Amino acid sequence: MGWILFKRALRDLKAGWARYLALSVLIIFSLFIVISLMGASVTVIDGTEKSNAEHCREDGEFSVFVPLRDDEVRKIEEKGVKLEKMFYADYEVSGSKVLRAFKVRENINRVGLVEGTMPEKDDEAVIERRFAEENKIKPGSKIKLGGREFTVSGIGAAPDYNNMIKKVSDSVVDSKSFGLIFVTADAYDKLYASGDSLSSEEYYYAYTLGSQMSEEDLKKALEDIEFKLSDIDDEYFKEYWERMTGKKDDLLEGIDKLKDGAKELKDGAKELADGTKEYHDGMKELKDAVPDFKKGVKDLDKGAGELAKGVKEYTGGVSKVASGTNSLSKGTKVLAGGTKALDKGAKQYGDGVNAYADTAEAATKSPNPYVAGTAKEFAGPAKQLATVYSDIQKGVSGINSGVVNLNGGTKKLYSGMKLLDKSGAALKNGANSLHKGTTALRKGANELAEGIDKLYDGSVDIKDGAKELADGAKEYSDGMNEFADEANKFVDEFFDIKTSNLMVFMNSKENPRVDAAADDVQITYTASIIFGVLLVMLFAYVISVFIVHTIDQESPVIGALYSMGVKRRTLMLSYVAVPVLVSFISGVIGTVLAVLTPAGIPAQLQDSLSYYSMPEVKIKVTPFILIYGLVIPPVTAFIVNVLVIRKRLKKTPLSLLKNEQKAVRGKDLKIKGLKFISMFRLRQMIRELRAGLTVILGMFMSLLVALMALNTMVYCGKVKDYYVSQTKYDYMYSYKYPTEEVPEGGYEAVAEGLRKEIYGYTFDVTMFGITKDNPFFDTGDLPDNDTDVVISSAFAVKYNIKAGDEFTVKDGNGGRMYAFRAAKIIDYSASLAMFMDIGRCRDLFGKDDKYFNVVFSDHALDIDSGRLYSTVTKSDIEKSAGIYVDMMGPMITVMSTASAVIFTVVMYLMVKMMIDRSTFNISLVKIFGFRNKEVRKMYLDGNFFTVVIGALIVIPLCKFIMDYIYPRYLVSNVGVGISPSYPPELFVAIFLVIIGLYLVINAVLTGKLKKINPAIVLKNRE
Amino acid sequence: MSEETFLTVKDLKKSYGEGGSYTMVLKGVSIKIFKGEMCVIQGTSGSGKSTLLNCIGGLDSIDSGSVGVAGTLIEGLKGEKLSNYRRDNLGFIFQFYNLVPNLTVRENIQVCEYLSKDPLKIDELISVLGLTEHQYKFPSQLSGGQQQRCAIARALVKNPKVLLCDEPTGALDSKTSRDILMLLEKINKQYGTTMLIVTHNNSIKNMVDHVIYIKDGEIAKDYYNETKTPAAELEDL
Repeated sequence: MGWILFKRALRDLKAGWARYLALSVLIIFSLFIVISLMGASVTVIDGTEKSNAEHCREDGEFSVFVPLRDDEVRKIEEKGVKLEKMFYADYEVSGSKVLRAFKVRENINRVGLVEGTMPEKDDEAVIERRFAEENKIKPGSKIKLGGREFTVSGIGAAPDYNNMIKKVSDSVVDSKSFGLIFVTADAYDKLYASGDSLSSEEYYYAYTLGSQMSEEDLKKALEDIEFKLSDIDDEYFKEYWERMTGKKDDLLEGIDKLKDGAKELKDGAKELADGTKEYHDGMKELKDAVPDFKKGVKDLDKGAGELAKGVKEYTGGVSKVASGTNSLSKGTKVLAGGTKALDKGAKQYGDGVNAYADTAEAATKSPNPYVAGTAKEFAGPAKQLATVYSDIQKGVSGINSGVVNLNGGTKKLYSGMKLLDKSGAALKNGANSLHKGTTALRKGANELAEGIDKLYDGSVDIKDGAKELADGAKEYSDGMNEFADEANKFVDEFFDIKTSNLMVFMNSKENPRVDAAADDVQITYTASIIFGVLLVMLFAYVISVFIVHTIDQESPVIGALYSMGVKRRTLMLSYVAVPVLVSFISGVIGTVLAVLTPAGIPAQLQDSLSYYSMPEVKIKVTPFILIYGLVIPPVTAFIVNVLVIRKRLKKTPLSLLKNEQKAVRGKDLKIKGLKFISMFRLRQMIRELRAGLTVILGMFMSLLVALMALNTMVYCGKVKDYYVSQTKYDYMYSYKYPTEEVPEGGYEAVAEGLRKEIYGYTFDVTMFGITKDNPFFDTGDLPDNDTDVVISSAFAVKYNIKAGDEFTVKDGNGGRMYAFRAAKIIDYSASLAMFMDIGRCRDLFGKDDKYFNVVFSDHALDIDSGRLYSTVTKSDIEKSAGIYVDMMGPMITVMSTASAVIFTVVMYLMVKMMIDRSTFNISLVKIFGFRNKEVRKMYLDGNFFTVVIGALIVIPLCKFIMDYIYPRYLVSNVGVGISPSYPPELFVAIFLVIIGLYLVINAVLTGKLKKINPAIVLKNRE
Repeated sequence: MSEETFLTVKDLKKSYGEGGSYTMVLKGVSIKIFKGEMCVIQGTSGSGKSTLLNCIGGLDSIDSGSVGVAGTLIEGLKGEKLSNYRRDNLGFIFQFYNLVPNLTVRENIQVCEYLSKDPLKIDELISVLGLTEHQYKFPSQLSGGQQQRCAIARALVKNPKVLLCDEPTGALDSKTSRDILMLLEKINKQYGTTMLIVTHNNSIKNMVDHVIYIKDGEIAKDYYNETKTPAAELEDL
């Protein structure tokens, strides 16, 4: 049967026992760790579930300002909700340690005892397990707090303090300094009455929901519960309350004034609307009058035109008259000349006529009768003539006088006409101007009309606008009324948040103290499963490289067996048998060691038990873990090896018989100028590419493990360094009941708790409103707007926020969301924090101008403890920061060592296999006369380059992968934002360690190389 | 030897390579082998004798022609069927033994025992081959002759119809070669196994029934010895 071939496999295993043992040890170690982690995780998860059920873990918890009254409790419990008082106060123990005192719980969050008994007497107490362990407290030990001594009756753990953080926003557990103490109810009251508590009593209740009330309903019911001031005993709270309610009145008064102002605005707007309506009506009339106006102007223009024309004609006539007058004047002048001459002539003629008449008269008297007779005949007519002529002369003289007068008249007429003509031109100009004026008037009238149209349209808009304004004002006023109502409600609600008795409401999922261990190991569990498979795959692959080497060596034998009819499947199984067997046996051993030895699951469990506070748990191994440990290794080995060697066995029998090899990789490689040995080395590297890649793969896997450890180391180291170096204050006092006056020497700040989710976990992010002169935070000038904030590097890193990014956070109750922009990032790793100007912060969160609830100082301040929630000192931070390093130190060492071992073994085996494979050739080159040094250069030194190149690729690749995985899966549940970035020298150190390990392996293998005897060639030939 | 034709090769052609490297190794070889016959295929290096053996053994493909063994034509057989053909019909002996190095003599033989439905008895075979005292030794603890005996035993254990021997004495000294040949002779007589022996040793042809001489891929001579010289009497091995 084919089983005979399995004998071959077993003998092969025996022959290569050293390498298989090495690989087996690695698989055993890997499986041991993985199964231990898985088992511890399952145990913690299962233990937590059982403990939760057994001790009735809360569904959530809430705190109030004033303890609920019996009727209020009854009212809630009627709805199926169960409540458990968890009042507490902190007390100083043994110097700087703090114990939080509780009454023994009766129903919810009952203490699970690890040892001893519950307190029965008033001087007995149960101490929380982790604090007891760290401080070596055992049942019977005495512990003194509040001036009272208690005998420790038992050690236990409570489900609501699984993660023993002092405040829910704390990120580190310091069980050496902080723990819980559970005492009887009487003892608790007496203890608090001593007044020695570090802070005032906190009124916390745990609840479990029934079927009738949801979480939201309960929250609403609690918010609705009010309390009377008379219920309050705490003087600080009373003072605070009075101050807050005073502020409320101021606010309400302001809202009323706002409301009145809005009403006035509404009335004014209405009046404005009415006025604009009237204006619009006037405009409408004006618009209606515009056509008549335009017509009048047009007529006026036309009349002016006609006037100008008439004037023109008139002035033309005048000119002509003037011209005629001128001619008349000239004529009358000439006539006057003529009449003068006529007058002169008439005078002369009259003189002649007179002379004639005289002569005729005289002739009558002539002695000559004839003459006298004749003269007589002439003398009468001549006399008459002279008389007539005298009349004529008088006429002529009158004419002359008339003509002279005419001439003077025409002169005056001309002169007048001239004046008239002159004034006619002015009249014409005036008429023309008048016409131009009327034309312009007409144009102006048109424009006026257009303007009126526009004015009218405008008046419509004004009217509409005024109406809208009026409507808007009305709406504004109405809105203002609503706003006033809402604002009143808001003020009521706001003051309710602070004073409606409900202070904090948090379900168990939001509570970082609850189920933290189970959450933490869930990540470990998943990571272990994946990492285990990857490691087994790596080792299976390493084995497959050996198998391939064996197959190459046994090629003719396989060919012979094929020739005989042996089937490939049979041979395949025989070759796969070794890795499957090695993996299986290793898996069994690893699993058994993990499950049955104290170094396995119990040791890993101790990691959880030494950090988280939980009762004893029973180790649980699920069928899946067993299947994983027993089945996954052989199955993985089978699959990997089948995939790798099936190609080799697929060759034809003849090809196998002839041991035909694929063309040797790199045989054609030629680089000019490269010396023979260098070229040989290069070809050897290429020939051994598979082994080289396996070395790199091993380096990759081991570096992943190493970088997980290094990331943790850097992370914890930075926590330790940065927390201390970046915390510049020495004291941070958080007020429960703030005063109005800042204590002397302190720097006040407003701290507002906000929340933000990432990778499935929600963390507290504190908004600090700080003063400009606060010397403890290097924020520089704080942004002068309400949306820009300065954020701490912790916040930036945790939430991947860069300067300039916008982001949102929710308020503590998750009801309100705030959007901010990261204006600047400062180096501050100790807290997920944002910073803004204190005034803006007060405005944003509705605080009064003097409000503060945190005071930073570089020295201790004298503040009444009753006012305070907590006091954080720099030394507290130093202590808690160092815890990470102490806690993770062993893990870092184990993982670093494991990775170095994995890398060393894988590299050793691969390089050794390369030498084994080349033994014949090495002996041959030795026969040729090559010296050992040259042989080493040819066959070994090439690996140096493989390792160097591999390291240069793998180191950044692994760092990149780990940086992706680390925040998302490994520290996603920790409220710390620190980049595990390495200083350059650490990268150099990693590189040097790899090279160092290689050189050690190289030195060892050089010895083997020297031992290869040239006679091997001859022996093989024989 | 019976009169029954047990192995037939007809017009077998086989070539390697392409283009410039094309070589016609077998150029239409035809042979007939009778059941129980001991046949030697001789030829110089590169003549095609091993190729012929490989083609008959189904280790190498053929270009054309046919090969029939015990009624089974091997052309067209692939994978599992070809493997079954070899399993059911053939035994191989190689020049360099090809034993599984980390199995003992007995185990090497057992590897092939399970391949047959009717295997020979291992102890008897070990005894016949003179390996009784070496049966629990590993190949590396044996001489070349002992290793070849082991290889013969491994080939014979499944009681093959044909034993194909490729230079079975090629790596052995004269004395050991004679021992091996005597063994083959003995087996042929005892088990009636048909044997096809490829060799370049000229003496071996005298001990067999049938001699085929291949030259340049063609059958140069194909004859039957009228008289055979027992292996023990062969010279110049």
